[in-house]
Amino acid sequence: MEKNLEHQIDESEKLGMQIVKESEDDRLMTLSVGPQHPGSGHFRFTIKVDGDYVVHCDPDPGYVHRGEEKMCEYRNFIQNIPHLERPVIHDSANITYSYSLAVEELVGIQVPRRGQFIRAIASELDRQIYTLYWLAIYGIFLGHSTMFMWPTGDRELFIDLMDALSGARVTHAFNIPGGVRNDIPDGFKDKCLRHISYFEKRLKEYEDIFYTNPLFIQRTEGVGILTKEDAIGLGVTGSVLRASGVPYDIRKAEPYDVYNEIDFKVQYMKSGDSLARAYVPLLDMKESCHIMRQLLDKMPESGEVRAKLQPTPKGPPGEAYRRVESGRGALGYYIVSDGSPKPYRVKISVGSFRNMIALPHLLVGSKLADMPSVYWSLNYWPVEADR
Amino acid sequence: MATYPQRFRFGNFVASIIWLILWILIIVSLVGLPLIFIILFYLPLPPVNGEVLTPYLFLSMMVDPTRTLPILHFIIHTDLFKVAVFPGFSFAALLAAVTIFVERKFLAKMQLRIGPLYCGKIEGILQLLADGLKLIAKEIIIPSGADKPIFWAAPIAFVATAAAVVALIPVAPGWVAADVNVGIIAVFAILGFFPLIALLFSWASNSKYPFIGGLRALHQMIAFEIPFFLSALSVVILSGSLNLTDIAKAQHPYWYIFFLPISAFVFFISSLAELERIPFDLPEAESEIVAGWLTETSGMIFGLIQLGSYVKVYALSALFVVLFLGGWAGPQIFPKELAHGPTAGLMGLLTLQGVYNGVTVNAIFWFTVKTLGIIMLMLLPRGISPRIRIDILLHTGWYKLIVLTFINMFIALALIYGGILGPGGLLTAH
Amino acid sequence: MIKAIESGSKHLVIKRFTLRYPEQKLKFIGDGYQFDPKRGVGIAGSRGRHILFHDKCTGCQLCAIACEGIAEAIGMVKVDEQWKHNKKSIMPQIDFGKCVFCGLCVDACPFYALYMTNDYELSSFTKEHLIYTPAQLAIKPKYDGNVELKIDNMGATHG
Repeated sequence: MEKNLEHQIDESEKLGMQIVKESEDDRLMTLSVGPQHPGSGHFRFTIKVDGDYVVHCDPDPGYVHRGEEKMCEYRNFIQNIPHLERPVIHDSANITYSYSLAVEELVGIQVPRRGQFIRAIASELDRQIYTLYWLAIYGIFLGHSTMFMWPTGDRELFIDLMDALSGARVTHAFNIPGGVRNDIPDGFKDKCLRHISYFEKRLKEYEDIFYTNPLFIQRTEGVGILTKEDAIGLGVTGSVLRASGVPYDIRKAEPYDVYNEIDFKVQYMKSGDSLARAYVPLLDMKESCHIMRQLLDKMPESGEVRAKLQPTPKGPPGEAYRRVESGRGALGYYIVSDGSPKPYRVKISVGSFRNMIALPHLLVGSKLADMPSVYWSLNYWPVEADR
Repeated sequence: MATYPQRFRFGNFVASIIWLILWILIIVSLVGLPLIFIILFYLPLPPVNGEVLTPYLFLSMMVDPTRTLPILHFIIHTDLFKVAVFPGFSFAALLAAVTIFVERKFLAKMQLRIGPLYCGKIEGILQLLADGLKLIAKEIIIPSGADKPIFWAAPIAFVATAAAVVALIPVAPGWVAADVNVGIIAVFAILGFFPLIALLFSWASNSKYPFIGGLRALHQMIAFEIPFFLSALSVVILSGSLNLTDIAKAQHPYWYIFFLPISAFVFFISSLAELERIPFDLPEAESEIVAGWLTETSGMIFGLIQLGSYVKVYALSALFVVLFLGGWAGPQIFPKELAHGPTAGLMGLLTLQGVYNGVTVNAIFWFTVKTLGIIMLMLLPRGISPRIRIDILLHTGWYKLIVLTFINMFIALALIYGGILGPGGLLTAH
Repeated sequence: MIKAIESGSKHLVIKRFTLRYPEQKLKFIGDGYQFDPKRGVGIAGSRGRHILFHDKCTGCQLCAIACEGIAEAIGMVKVDEQWKHNKKSIMPQIDFGKCVFCGLCVDACPFYALYMTNDYELSSFTKEHLIYTPAQLAIKPKYDGNVELKIDNMGATHG
């Protein structure tokens, strides 16, 4: 029996694989927080636990890998949109926004102004939808079932708006290289303003029951502290970076489309623990409501929303790299084109995958009970990270 | 593959019910009744009104109104009835079932949604029945390498222990399944079994997540047993007796919660911890350790543990009512008797002569109302708080709550020695 | 902690948010997603089941070509009808088991023949029933949703 196991380990090591061995030390216990776990989403990581303290963490992404980047090479630029929005189904206006910007740079299209405003409104709505879902799951990871139900219900306000705007509740297929696919329907602006003002009242309720709850604060304060130098060194992005004291938001640092005309503040907190990482998305949501109001005000009354394009656009050979601030962080596309209607190579750089590197760094040395609060506060969306 | 469901036809429905009744009658009369007679041949039968009670006499007596009521009276006061039906297991199980349903609807209302809606015509009343039938029909999977005798015995021991606690609690004066003179100590001795059962079951599951969950259950329950016991101790000091019926009777003019609010608070928190309810549900923390020590349960084993858990909810809140809220004390809103003077015949049957006791019914009513109120209060933290972490839990249990109980004990002692309560005091009834 | 209890108890009196689905259905603004090939922009609407206008479809296969890269849900089949503008007598047949309801086929049609409607209740008991022939696609579905999200002082409800 022993000999067989040794032989198997040798064979697999020759092939380049590594088997996680049960260590000789009796104190350590290996737990596989795998995909079949209510606390992990579609993601597996293996932790070694000594009593109540985690001593080793080994993330293992790839459970939902679908080969998005390879699939892009077989479809032309417009046909890529429906499958590229599938990694994050409800935040699809952001993941296709970046793609559209990169393709417009390659092909050389100028998007009309009203189209840019509508794209920004859709992006902000989707950011709210994603952040509310993230908050709901954060609540349930900590055992707070009410905090699961309330954001999921309030998300309906925004999903209703996106349904009226784009025609589908999730996976909107709304952005397209060249603008947006349709103009806004009647009565949208009033409905949007009504929903936003109701939502701002609901944010106060969230603070009352969740963010100022002493049990929640006990569980997340001082847990998983990510210092500013570590955050910049590890390369995390998005709300994780802003919670460690770095006021960096791509909408302010490299403004795209109409964001240089909108006046908003970058929300950040200095402490860098789980509480700050849970608080920054709430502040982001408040800021997002503010941004949406300005966008609705400043939008030109009429105009084109989509640039005229041939059905299969193609451009001169070249490359383009554009970034967008999505719910998780910096979402960048690097597209190489060789002059044909299909791209030659699409590389998607996703915020979740970058944040994953902080997980072993933060978990080692913390307690087992802190595992959900640290893991999910890194704003990790497993499906998007695996693309 | 789904098949097309057939349209509902009322005639077929009535026919199926009649078939069911027919089969039940056949089985009962061909198999059940002979079995009963054979068993009764060997059991000694009690005499009623001077005659030995045989089944034929029983059936004939049920038809004669003058003789029905004494039989009913006799049956109600036997020990078997008290254990199995009234203040015993069936009552507790019924309240537990109602608690599960009310909990789901109550939480749903707080979370702005509707709870179970589609089972049963009125807002999902039959949901519990549907869940129970589903659990009975599921396959029970036992992990390989699990310790089979303990795996099967632990859930049954869980329900049995919870029912044992229920048996000690007085619902009305004279209505206790087991009137023990050291009632409180017996309750705490039985409650001490639960961590043992949790640990045995988690060890027998032979898997890592139940192991962690079982250890957490052990730590949690043991840590909170001490404040639990100490807060009840203040009540014992004030009432001067360990018998639960005497404690309930001693709260006659004023309930103890007015004198010992801190103790009531500590008792409440400790009972939330003993019951493994949110915020103290670490042993079953879903997001960290799958389902804790309940991970490997499936089917009826899970059903039994849920039943035991909710019977424990009823038992501990009934204990709270007896210790702090005066048991069954309340204004008499039921008439003392339904008819004045002895009546005979049909009027006697209708006014339940000899069986109806106004004081008892009143006591049962108030006890149930108070227990349901405390159960609702126990459901509230589930909608409000997240789960607590184990080191904060142990810190709270071992340091803060014990300090609070000691403060409270000093208050109780001061009340007694100051002559306010206790024998010969200002506020005692007698 | 008191604020949390207050907030939780306040919600016991706010109206419930859920939509009781089979009895209440959501109302949609407009008629469904449509595309105007002359202006090159779509008209906002809900993307549900397609509707094919037989008196406009010319059998040019542009919708099938658009879908080939996405979901391969449209196949062209021969129909029995004789139309002047449809020489080959072929029309699209949509397999809703594969369709992702993106609407790019509607964008591709240059003859105002393919639109989308509000109907999303397309479930069936077999996979074969999900393939809608051109004759089935021509029927305009009746969808009577009448409930929308209402916000007032007592909370938001569907009603």
